[in-house]
Amino acid sequence: MSEPSESYDVPEGFLFTKEHEWVSSKKEDGTVLIGITDYAAKMLHDIVYVVLPSEGSTFKAGDVFGQVESVKTVSDIFMPLSGRVLKVNNGLTKTPEVISSSPYSQGWMIALSPTNLAEESKRLLDANDYRRFIEELKNTER
Amino acid sequence: MGMRSHLHAFHEEHGKITEFGGFDMPLWYDGIIEEHHAVRNAAGLFDVSHMGRFRVRGEDATKFLNIIFPSDVEKIRPGRAFYSLILNGAGGIVDDTVTNKISDNEYFMVVNAANREKDLKWLLAKKSESSYSCSVEDESDSTALIALQGPLAVQISRSLCDFDLGTLKRFGFVFCAYAGEKSLVSRTGYTGEDGFEIAVLDSPVDSPDKAMNVWQRILEQGKQFGLKPCGLGARDLLRLEAGMCLYGQDIDETTTPLEASLEGIVDLRKSEPFIGRERLEAQSQEGLRRKRVAFSMIESGIPRHGYQVTIAGSVIGNVTSGTFSPIEKKGIGMAYVPPALSNIGDRFSINLRGVERGAAVSQVPFYDPTRFGYRRKPAS
Repeated sequence: MSEPSESYDVPEGFLFTKEHEWVSSKKEDGTVLIGITDYAAKMLHDIVYVVLPSEGSTFKAGDVFGQVESVKTVSDIFMPLSGRVLKVNNGLTKTPEVISSSPYSQGWMIALSPTNLAEESKRLLDANDYRRFIEELKNTER
Repeated sequence: MGMRSHLHAFHEEHGKITEFGGFDMPLWYDGIIEEHHAVRNAAGLFDVSHMGRFRVRGEDATKFLNIIFPSDVEKIRPGRAFYSLILNGAGGIVDDTVTNKISDNEYFMVVNAANREKDLKWLLAKKSESSYSCSVEDESDSTALIALQGPLAVQISRSLCDFDLGTLKRFGFVFCAYAGEKSLVSRTGYTGEDGFEIAVLDSPVDSPDKAMNVWQRILEQGKQFGLKPCGLGARDLLRLEAGMCLYGQDIDETTTPLEASLEGIVDLRKSEPFIGRERLEAQSQEGLRRKRVAFSMIESGIPRHGYQVTIAGSVIGNVTSGTFSPIEKKGIGMAYVPPALSNIGDRFSINLRGVERGAAVSQVPFYDPTRFGYRRKPAS
């Protein structure tokens, strides 16, 4: 389907990966929230299931930490940062559609205690860079 | 770039294109879940012109097909379509088809898109090996096939067909003018719902105006009823919910009809030495080593093609089809398991990418047939 006028929500104040995950700004308690972007949710089209890690599990940046499933596909979700999972949004297993309707707030997936935030966040994209990145993707798709 | 159906221009403009059986076809237009919802609650329209269509004609047409199919083709009345399997010498399945018996001397077969070439070659080879007098003609590129499926299919067709399709029995077919175009219309489908498969005749793939006309007229007429065009993604979800097999996943050249739980179409009482007969007879004596079952997840997770079926960590079978049912709100699928575990309610686990989750053998269709499907109770 041609989607030239389809716009994707890319909010300021977040950081992004090329695998379409987002990282929130650091909370008071030092944690960050992580989820998948509006672009990713739209590409998947109908999210029917999500597999999330358990609380307390640790990951390195780039590790697969879960999967998001549509009717026909299973897509890996990659860690933007290294750290320990403090909280998991378990409600998503019952209502995975929330990821599509509200990817940056109610669709949050994990709360992470990052171990190397300052260094690793340099490798992430800001809103402008991510916006440009998905523009390029749309253009190469056509 | 794959082959293109008569309706490619529409798919390219409105759909997300994917490759299937060598064809560029729409995976969806608006989305799989939306399209599934339309078919189960109103109606959906599918372009299935990529499927193969053959005409078998001649004085020995019935005798010939009675060798090709394990069903008793002679017993079938003209005006009826029937589901059957083309078998190989080892009793395995070359293809599954729906064939319309026009008369004792003429049949119109619909086969899977991916098997067009294979099936035609097979039929022509078997015919020349025999002494039967009949012809097999490939009409895939001179006809189109459009499926209108859903509880409102009859209503939508009312003003479009010169024949009252509501009077057609399930699996009956008729020649008529649909949207003014000469067609063979059968009350069949691949969704479990009521509906029709409309073969638009004299409609060449490179001169598709007749097919386009039928397509557009149905879309226009159906809009007020909630009709949506639907892609292959919804088609696969619907057929699995209805408990129907997909060739290449649930059945193939290595599965016999007995293993595939399709023994109903095998008639060993008929006298013809149909292809694969010896193997099927032997297999009914020996017993089966595996059986296809429908199952649903008891614990959360979505089964997928290729996942393992396990008991206490040991692999005992394999998943051939799997998806998430929006009606049942759980994972559903088909698998081959040992016959001892093929009874409704029998339990095993599915290995979901390293995690074992519980499942149980289920009845088909997966949905409540009093609420969904062609046997649903009419709304009071």
